[in-house]
Amino acid sequence: MSTDPPITVDIKGEEVQELEREALGPDPTYADALAAVDLSPHEVSVLVDGRPVPEDQPLEATELTVLRLIKGG
Amino acid sequence: MSDLRLDATQLDRYSRHVIMDEVGPEGQKRLLEGSVLVVGAGGLGSPAIQYLAAAGVGHLGIVDDDVVERSNLQRQIVHGDDDVGRPKVESAADYVHRLNPDVSVEIYETRLTPENVDELAGGYDVVLDASDNFATRYLLNDYCVLSGTALSHGAIYRFEGQVTTIPNREGSDGPCYRCIFPEAPEPGTVPDCATTGVLGVLPGTVGCIQATEVVKLLLEQGDVLEGRLLLYDAMDMSFETVELQHNPNCPVCGDQPAIDSVGDVSYEHTCTIDAD
Repeated sequence: MSTDPPITVDIKGEEVQELEREALGPDPTYADALAAVDLSPHEVSVLVDGRPVPEDQPLEATELTVLRLIKGG
Repeated sequence: MSDLRLDATQLDRYSRHVIMDEVGPEGQKRLLEGSVLVVGAGGLGSPAIQYLAAAGVGHLGIVDDDVVERSNLQRQIVHGDDDVGRPKVESAADYVHRLNPDVSVEIYETRLTPENVDELAGGYDVVLDASDNFATRYLLNDYCVLSGTALSHGAIYRFEGQVTTIPNREGSDGPCYRCIFPEAPEPGTVPDCATTGVLGVLPGTVGCIQATEVVKLLLEQGDVLEGRLLLYDAMDMSFETVELQHNPNCPVCGDQPAIDSVGDVSYEHTCTIDAD
């Protein structure tokens, strides 16, 4: 049984999703977490404690905030 | 501040401002002496221009290289049916002239570029980003950070809006747009209003929030959205604020910024440092 806490992904404008770390494979990155919620790093920014994290970095945080890039005016 | 005095007509026109302690005659003078560059005379720019002009912001600059199309009229309320085919800047300026003779308008029928941004935006107290493309958004952010010009950012998508304010004032430690979104997405990866649609009234709400922020900046009153991204969902009729931190790795305002001039950046694709 897993002892790792779930990864909470708060996609602003949508819903909060919880991911099991084990389901992301070995040594997951933030991009892997995005892929698990069907998002591409091209269209969003992942924030941890209010700051963006590079999507290719190892997934260390357990609470992610995801902001969509929107351009319409 | 100059000794600009409000005449009887202005005291009448702005009486609902003047009566408030937070504005008063001094605050109204600030507005009349203020200058704002509105980049984009479309969905966000329309309500922003209307309310800034009505509030008596004395000098407005308007940048847009488009002409009015009939499909704009569902949301770009500064233009009318008779304006179809006219440059948006001309139509918007006509609206301001009809609304408030206290406001002077400078129009720039062009697209903002690294080459002309200082000529167009230099000297304005505040820049209001009402553009519809990432090249202009990143250019405005970088220029305003580097020049210390206050910036209101707004963007819309279908039923959702985002607003933040970047005062860029002395001692300010809030994040800029690049702190949140370091690079623009690859072209074509983020949809636009033409392909996904947009609720007509949505930019009205978001543009009015931007105008509110600009008026507060000029008045030096209240708390602006510095370090906060306001998210508006018209479908849920909900507002949410996301707290943001300054990013020490930000390429334009971080601890070791790679961008020290807008000429360093290629704004055509992902708005990153030019490899040349």
